Amino acid sequence: MTNNIRVERAIKNITQADLAELVSVSRQTINTIESNRYVPSTVLALKIARVFGKPVEEVFILEEGD
Amino acid sequence: MKTRFLFPYYFKFIGLALIVFVHFPLMHILQLMHIHFDDNDTSLFNHHHIFFILTYVMIVIGLLMVAFSKEKIEDEHISQLRLDSLQWALYLNYLILIISLVFTTGMDMIDILRLNLWVPLVFFIIRFRWVLYRLNRSLN
Repeated sequence: MTNNIRVERAIKNITQADLAELVSVSRQTINTIESNRYVPSTVLALKIARVFGKPVEEVFILEEGD
Repeated sequence: MKTRFLFPYYFKFIGLALIVFVHFPLMHILQLMHIHFDDNDTSLFNHHHIFFILTYVMIVIGLLMVAFSKEKIEDEHISQLRLDSLQWALYLNYLILIISLVFTTGMDMIDILRLNLWVPLVFFIIRFRWVLYRLNRSLN
């Protein structure tokens, strides 16, 4: 699974720390999700998508082999 | 995030204090006093038993508090890392336990089993702290 969090953050002009606070996780977690080292739970994915005001499929994208 | 079965954050420091300021000094004091235990006394709470409680049980309680207290910011990723570390620690522990039990007999075996009361917690704490340290380092 890949994601557009970095791009969406740039559009909204917020830092990893800001996003982390908005969805109440640690900054490390946002960082590992962005670099595809951690797959968030459905709840967290929905929360992140809600921050960006987009459906979850536009933020998180399934890859070949998932 | 809602977490189950975890102590509050400050328990980590209580646990550490219990080990450093209660367990270690007690061990030294008992050693310095040259107490001779009566080996024929097998009643509950005899000297041997009290010594066992003060040393092994005290360290287990302290380590449990350190190992299973919440992090400052608790989230699902931390929970996952905690469970991973727990699995890793148990695997390592049983590997070492099996190897050491195969190569020991008699009283040594009992010592190994006693050590096993708290060694898995030490493995867990080291591994979990190491993973968190690496996570923090990757941020910079």
